[in-house]
Amino acid sequence: MENSYEETIDKRRVHLRPDTLRDPARVSLHLLPCEVRVNRPTPVGRFFTPAIRQGPDGLEVSFRGRSLRGEEVVVPPGFVGYVMTEGKAEVLAGKQEDQEREEQQLVEPPEALERDCDRFMGATASFSSFTVWGLESIPGPDAKLRGALSWPRLAAAIHAQVPED
Amino acid sequence: MAHGADGGDGARVWQHVFLLPEYLKDASKKMKSGLVFVKLANPCSGEGTIYLFNMCLPQLFEIKVFKEKNHSWFINESVQSGGLLHFATPMDPLFLLLYYLIKADKEGKFQPLDQVVMDAMFPDCILLLKLPELEKLLRHVTEEKVNPEIDKKKYYKYSKEKTLKWLEKKVNQTVAALKTNKVNVSARVQSTAFFSGGQVSSDKDEDYVHYAHGLISDYIPKQLSDDLSKYLKLPEPPASVRNPPSKKAKLSDEPVNAKEDYTKFNSKDIKTVKKNSKMTAAQKALAKVDKSGMKSIDSFFGAKHEKKIGKIR
Repeated sequence: MENSYEETIDKRRVHLRPDTLRDPARVSLHLLPCEVRVNRPTPVGRFFTPAIRQGPDGLEVSFRGRSLRGEEVVVPPGFVGYVMTEGKAEVLAGKQEDQEREEQQLVEPPEALERDCDRFMGATASFSSFTVWGLESIPGPDAKLRGALSWPRLAAAIHAQVPED
Repeated sequence: MAHGADGGDGARVWQHVFLLPEYLKDASKKMKSGLVFVKLANPCSGEGTIYLFNMCLPQLFEIKVFKEKNHSWFINESVQSGGLLHFATPMDPLFLLLYYLIKADKEGKFQPLDQVVMDAMFPDCILLLKLPELEKLLRHVTEEKVNPEIDKKKYYKYSKEKTLKWLEKKVNQTVAALKTNKVNVSARVQSTAFFSGGQVSSDKDEDYVHYAHGLISDYIPKQLSDDLSKYLKLPEPPASVRNPPSKKAKLSDEPVNAKEDYTKFNSKDIKTVKKNSKMTAAQKALAKVDKSGMKSIDSFFGAKHEKKIGKIR
């Protein structure tokens, strides 16, 4: 009885593998001001990154013929950025060189993963800053992203224990 | 599944961009497993929401997602649609416990905690019972009884009075943080036209209280949020409340210039105002002010919780 109950709970759980958080490779990350409706490998290093220039007010680049302005944004203090994917535990523990093989495995039909009742997420890469891009101008101080990045400090205050009377 | 539901033909691996507290990285050295995404009842809405639970410590983290229209990531040599940025921040589990305590209070009796924190929809709520120093936490919001003759078990009953006191401390604590992080607060506040009418440099305090009340309201049921707002303007509040009510009423003279994007966060409040026709003029004024002060946490992220759940799971 007890056991079957535990199992039902586990079916709803997605495990995050702690070992993948330890030392994942650094990642280069850009937040674009447009929606690209696919998730797939793309030659960023061939077309995008080499075209980035340091202009008078921030970084400059163009994407699909449109001019973008951007700047480097650091993650909030006390936080680490991770890129995570869902997949099998042993796959996620793999090194970066295995990334291609990893992707092969991850595109397996969903049933293959769900056959095990537990599912797993793991970090494939980490970052401490990323580049945020705006169309023609750098996203200003009013940008929603800036508000979001200040959230951890506010959250800390909201959720800190209060002293007893 | 993690694969992009709306990603079109090219959708392959869904990559999630996360910000995690640094100490999880250190803690991860000692554990092989134990970090789990679980679905629990959101204490404000009652809907299923994803939280991160550290079984080793144990510790609860809230997950918020930044989502704005027309964004994508370049992640090394790949593109990821959506442009979502997930935040995992430590969460006070008492908010989640409170949800169940209030629910159980309808029976109006003292009950052991394992009978209170039960949920057929979200069975993972029993994880909350594993959290350290639960008894100390519960003292903030419950009356407790021990029956030494039968067992040593503790029996709890929700106390609204204690809860309001506790929430008031939370509000004050949040106000302090809003003030310490001055730069960010004022920047964000401008962006929401919150400090409207050029009152930025004076009479800030009551605005901060309203703002903080709005933030906390995202973690408590609506009814309790309303009660808290009344509580915070009691004529003879405890010393920790900063502002006399007369000052708050003055706020209503300020024009309420809400921007489009921001009124929608407050639609609930507007409804309440209409429903509650018995309010006094002062209360109406306060409700009006509340509207401008209410700061839903979602406004930091521009996304509803439900959206990201599908992506994680």
